[in-house]
Amino acid sequence: MIVCVAVVGHQNNPLYIQSFTKGDDSLLRISILNVEGCSYHSLKRHHIVHCSLDVVDERVNNPKKSGLIINETFLGLLNPTENYKVYGYLTNTKVKFILVTTDLEVRDVDARVFFGRFHTAYVDAVSNPFHIPGKKITSRKFAERVSTIVKSFGLSSGG
Amino acid sequence: MVREVSESCVESLLAEIVLSYCSGFYANKPELAARRIEAIGFQVGHQLSERYTMDRPRFTDNLDAIKFICKDFWSELFKKQIDNLKTNHRGTFVLQDNRFRWLAHMSVDPSVQASGNIQDPSAMAENKSAQATGMHLYFPCGIIRGALSNLGIECAVSADISNLPAFVNRTCTPPTLSFCYSCMTEAVLFTQLLSEKWLFQSAVSSF
Repeated sequence: MIVCVAVVGHQNNPLYIQSFTKGDDSLLRISILNVEGCSYHSLKRHHIVHCSLDVVDERVNNPKKSGLIINETFLGLLNPTENYKVYGYLTNTKVKFILVTTDLEVRDVDARVFFGRFHTAYVDAVSNPFHIPGKKITSRKFAERVSTIVKSFGLSSGG
Repeated sequence: MVREVSESCVESLLAEIVLSYCSGFYANKPELAARRIEAIGFQVGHQLSERYTMDRPRFTDNLDAIKFICKDFWSELFKKQIDNLKTNHRGTFVLQDNRFRWLAHMSVDPSVQASGNIQDPSAMAENKSAQATGMHLYFPCGIIRGALSNLGIECAVSADISNLPAFVNRTCTPPTLSFCYSCMTEAVLFTQLLSEKWLFQSAVSSF
């Protein structure tokens, strides 16, 4: 169950953040006993995404420590926190994609396929001549495509 | 889904950009026209580099990025690779394209006399070709600069032309790059210029 996807620019500025929990909110509220409305959850997701940016930087700058191939775009599992798993992806143009999910078992290949499709949608959104580089992505089509990709991710890993 | 654009349309559009900006909008201010054209190229290069680096592994250093520009980026735009790459290892790269596609159909009328001074004919020819094509080189330079800046390399790009249709790009400044650019076969150029809606309309009306 994907909770949130985010696109972060090369200066760590958020370009796009989208949350996908609808029914889960009530369960989370009961279990956490911290009812404060939707704003709590969206802030929490922003916080998670922000923390994972540090991990991305660390992975990129210290490849030997993390044992990662230096020039791969898919960064893999960044940090498993509480009940979330965070995956990262770094493009050649220093744009980071962050995926936050509550799934306990996410296959590597599923995450890669997800990021591949997401990258395609992102490139199409950025090629829009009315999009200003560095500003937030406001395209409705991009939002729809992302929703479609997120839905198909859930199906393929669950089915 | 790859969309294709007729190459003659692209060349006509580029010629019309230069004409409109130089004789229309900034009629007596060639510097402003040049900057504006270069800025358009910058955004186009920015977006194109996003698209063309999509399936590639990340670049490890500047040289990798320059090689990408020389090979993949150039062949996507101009259907060929750069002919010669030189560097002084201090931040200057020279990219040489011996048959620059966007200028391949341009020529200078050799019968028009200059100011009447007796000059060496080859130097005169070079001067004339440089003058005639100077403005046409800003757009490609902008594309290259935009692509590089999106890859994280800030640079300045300048272009020289020795004689039509050969083309030499020179970039310098630590770290600056200069090079030539290639032509695009995708619809990105058109979509970019659609934001300059008046420009598109004038291009259509000139057909």
